[in-house]
Formats: sequence, structure tokens, C-alpha cells
Amino acid sequence: MNLFLFTLLSGLVSGALYALSALGVSLVAGLMRVVNFSHGEFYIFGAYLSYVFGIVFGLQPWIAMSIAVLIMFLCGLILQWILIRPIYKNQSNALVTTFILSIVLQNIAMIVFGPNPKKPPNYIDGVVRIFGFFEFGAQRLMAGAIAFVILACVLLLVWKTNFGRAIRAVAQDRDMAEAIGINAGWVNSVGFAFSVALAAAAGVLVAPIFPVTPNAGESVTLAAFVVLVFGGVGSIRGCLWGGLILGLVEKFGISYLSSMYSQIFGFVLLVAVLLMRPTGMYGSKV
Amino acid sequence: MLIFILLTQVLSAQAQTFKIGFVGPRTGSAAATGAAFDEGIQLALDKLRADPEYKKHPIDLIFEDSGGVPEKATAAFEKLATKDQVAIVVGESHSSSALAEIEVSNRTGVPFVISEAWSDDLLKKGYKTVFRAGPSNSAVVHGSIAKFIRDSKFKRVVVVAENSDWGKGIAALTDEALTHDHITHSVVSVDHEAKDFYAELNKLKNEKPDLIVAYIYSFGMHTFISQAREVGVHGLILDGAGPPSLWPEFWQNVGTAGNDELFVSCMHEKVQPNAQAKEFWTNYKKKFGHDPSDYKSRSAYTAVLLAADALKRAHAAVSADVIASLEKTNFHAAQGTIHFGNQGTEFHQWAPDMLVVQWQNGKPGDSSTPQHVQQVVYPKKLATGTMMTN
Repeated sequence: MNLFLFTLLSGLVSGALYALSALGVSLVAGLMRVVNFSHGEFYIFGAYLSYVFGIVFGLQPWIAMSIAVLIMFLCGLILQWILIRPIYKNQSNALVTTFILSIVLQNIAMIVFGPNPKKPPNYIDGVVRIFGFFEFGAQRLMAGAIAFVILACVLLLVWKTNFGRAIRAVAQDRDMAEAIGINAGWVNSVGFAFSVALAAAAGVLVAPIFPVTPNAGESVTLAAFVVLVFGGVGSIRGCLWGGLILGLVEKFGISYLSSMYSQIFGFVLLVAVLLMRPTGMYGSKV
Repeated sequence: MLIFILLTQVLSAQAQTFKIGFVGPRTGSAAATGAAFDEGIQLALDKLRADPEYKKHPIDLIFEDSGGVPEKATAAFEKLATKDQVAIVVGESHSSSALAEIEVSNRTGVPFVISEAWSDDLLKKGYKTVFRAGPSNSAVVHGSIAKFIRDSKFKRVVVVAENSDWGKGIAALTDEALTHDHITHSVVSVDHEAKDFYAELNKLKNEKPDLIVAYIYSFGMHTFISQAREVGVHGLILDGAGPPSLWPEFWQNVGTAGNDELFVSCMHEKVQPNAQAKEFWTNYKKKFGHDPSDYKSRSAYTAVLLAADALKRAHAAVSADVIASLEKTNFHAAQGTIHFGNQGTEFHQWAPDMLVVQWQNGKPGDSSTPQHVQQVVYPKKLATGTMMTN
């Protein structure tokens, strides 16, 4: 029973973080039809900035994390204006551009921060005894809880606010959205910057648990694409459920089957979903 | 004309450059080992350049990044052997990379002296060009770890091993040794790139081990240690590779979870087997401003000196002569006197003795001593302190 409950909690926490990591990719894919290969690198740069402000400048962890996410949001605005805006209508160009961007960012990270992992300061210490059954890292629990809160806020933003309505309108039909007065260019800019900030948020939450390296973004991008395809491109609900199911399948697979090849469970699940429902859980047919 | 030709031959022989290739991970999960290798190489080159014997033979050392992955390692060795035309290649810390490199060595005929890749499979094929002047899985398990476990009377042991060539091999040997010694134990395999061990740790917690032997050669070792304490695993942890517990980020990543952690090493300030060891320690401190901590810096230092020694004794910098010279090696290194065996499991192999070291707290309130000190706890005859249990 202990093992089951522990695995369930572990899976939910991982799943929330996977969903948060994938949310930005899903947003950009739905909004601009751009598959952003450099998403993982925004994650690591968020983490690195958190490290710089937290360790090098000695700021309080929550302040360091907030500044890191804000800076990445601004970087997202700039990158969208310079790189993405000119090419997003051509999907092949966008693919190549974001792929090259990811390589450039990885190398910048290697030059600036070196190959060894960097760990921002803990934002909370200690362990929590869960209902007397088992112990769980407090930081990990907090990261999962914050991820859930962010996911809920994004869902509210997209479904209950005017900005969210604008995003959904542009994602559905750009020309019609523009015809009714929505500034699609502005929505694209803010949407892309928001996706970068979401990646950075995931990075700042996770980096104190798993220190960041220049190539750590590769596995983040990979997991994000698994969630994206699994949940349905452009669907935030799909992202959430996809992330949670991936986290649970992975952790239960490790606990009850084998710990040797932990990455295989998500891909087996992905193949199964694609065979049964190629558009993903919440994707729509083209 | 003949005199001119003879003169140029004499002059070129007099100024013959020794081209030595070095392979190791400058990138990837064990890049810190590459940094340690760099330090050792710098010290070795300083020593060689100051040695009048090598005035006639300038050393040209080329370091290629093998990245800890076989495909990169193959390309690195290939480049050294064909484009750079080195006379000998030394180094490497990853068994999976070394297993790829020995094939290139065998094919190109360029001798390869492995420093720190431990898999027993590396010498099993009996390739004439391949040597090892460093630890092997068998030597580490049978010479140190199994004896340490038995003599320290641990009752319940869990072996956690990454699913790499090294990890699988050393875990199997440890399993055999513990079975032979009738010590209750189990073996858990983990992904070699894993950073999250919560599920595995929560399961093994139920076995209430008094010792966990972890064969994880990456920064994953750090997350393993900190997560073990988070989920309430209380036994001692032994890092069966060593360097991850010595990398600069260790204490930042593990915090107080690193207290009383054990690791294997072949170097300690108070265990200096000979003058060469003391010389290395002194020169390291002078050059880098602090004590050496990662024994792989000394491994690289020895590897380069060994290569230079072999090239000096060889009649010519051609494969057959260099191999013959290596087979006659009797080199006084910081780790001991290196000479390679010529048959059976000792064929082209030499291994140093290993220590088991424990991180212990320094003197609290005394700022002149470091916060964490390394104490040799095994073998007992070389121990500098008593093993702490938690």
C-alpha cells in the first residue's frame, strides 16, 4: 500500500511538471502552428538565470525565480519579433529555425556556464511525512503544487479572459480573428513570450531538485513532444492530462515493472495512443 | 647528398616530437572528469618539459573529447590515429567509450593505454595494442569493495548500478562476491542517465540496508544521495566509482546528505606510497592553489608520463616498437610501480590499490580546518580515522 501511494504521489508531481513543461510548446503549436524545438533551452535558461540571481547575486530564491521568469518572458518577446515572426507561416522554415536556435542556445550555455550541473538554491527544505505512511521531499511537493496552480491559472486565462478568447480565436482562424479586430501579431508576440515564460517557470521549479546542464533541455523537449502528441496539439486540457498520465505511467512502470529503462514507458504509451487515436486525446481531426 | 640526408635524419631524430593522444569526456555527464584529466595533463607536461631527458623529444599532446559516448569516442580515437598520427593514445574514463576505442586501436595498430575505464571486457579480447594502467572492475571489487563489506561486517547490502557496460559488469561481480560471502543483498539496476531515483529508493528502503553500494558514474550520484535521505533511507552509501563524490559541486548538490558518505579512491593526502605521490601532491598544490581531490587527475598525470617513458624506450615511434616498449614497462608512478602482466587475466593489465574513504565533519567551530574532511577507513592498516555509522 505504501509503495502504491508513494508511486501515485510521485507520478502526480512528475506529471504536473511534465504538463507545465509541455504547456508552452502546446500553446505555440496551437497558436502559430510552430513546433518549437528550442523549448527545452528556454527551460534551462530559466534555471540558469535562477541560479545566477540566487547563488551568484545571493537573492532570496523566490525573488531569483521570479526575476528569471520575467527576463525569459522579455527574451521571448524579442525572439518572437526577430526570429519567429518572419518565418512562422512557413512551417519548414520555422522547424529549422527553432532547431538551429536550440543548438545555438545549448552552446551558449556550455560556454557561459560550463558542462557541470548548476543548482539554484532550495526554495524550501526538509521532508514531509505523508499521512504517516512515507516521507517525501518538501521541495518536490511544493514544485508539483505550484505547477498545478500555474496550470489552473493558464486554463482560467485561456477560457475566462478576453486575452484567452483572443488566443483561441487566432488559433482557430487567424484571418477571421483579424477581420473582427483582434491584433493577431500582438497575440502571437505575447503568446510566444508566455510560452517561453512557462518553460522558464518549469525550469526554475525543477532545477533545485535536478540541477541543470547545457544539454538538459533535450530531454525536456522530448518529454514535451510526447505530452503534446499524446494530449493533442494545441489542447491545454490535453497537455494537462497527457502530462499527468505520462508521469503516472512512468512512475508505476519503474515501481512495478523495471527501473532499468525508465524512459521507455512513456514512448510505449505514446505509440499505443497514436495507434488508437492519432490526433491525441484532445486533438481534432484536420 | 648522402651526407645531407644523413644529417637531416640525425637532426630529426634528435628533435623527434613525441605525439601523444589523450581521450576523455570534456562534455557530457562526466565532464568534471575531463577537467580533472586536464589538470593531470598540465602537471605531467610541466614535469616533462622541465626534464632534460625530454629536451630532445618535445611532447605534442592532443586531447580529443570522447564525451562519454561510444560514437564520439570512436571518432575521437580515429582522428588521433589517422589525422593526427599519434604514436600512442592514453586516457578514457568510460567503459562504453573504451570498448569502442579498443576496436579502433586494434584496427589502426595505435597502442592504447586505458587509465580509468574499468570494465573487465576491455582486455578480454586480448588485443595486442590495448593495455590498462588503472583499476578494473575485478580488482576494485575483489581487492577493495567486497573485502571492505566483509571486514566491516555489513549485514544487509543493496547494490544499485547504472545499466552501462561498467555498471552491469561491476554489479555482477559484486553480486557474486556477496553471494560467496553469504551476505544478504539485492541488486537494483537503474537507467544510466536517470536523475530521479525516488521509486527505486522507496522500494529498497523496505529492505533496511545498512549499506548501499551505488555504481552511478555521473551527477546522478548526487541526486541519488540527496533523494535517499529525503525518502528516509538510513544506511551508509558507498560511491563505487569515487569521482562523483569528489567533484566540486558535490556539497552544493547533496548538502548534509553527504555526511558520512563513503567512496573509493586511490589517492589521499596521508596515504602517499612513494616519492612520486608526494611530488604530485606538492606540485598540484603549487599550481592550482589547493589540494588535489579527484584521483583521476593523478591517473591522467601518470598516463602521460607512462606514455612518454614508453616512447623514449621504444626504438622508433612505430606501433610494434611502442607495444614492445610498453610490455617491458617498469615505471615508478605515484600509484606504485607499473608493469604489465603477460598472460591470463593479467595480460597487459596493471591495477593500483584502492582505498575506501569517508566524508566526515571537520572540527566544528574551528574555521582553520575544512568543514568536511576525507578519512581513509579501509584498509585498516592505512586508515586515518574510524568509520562513522549513521
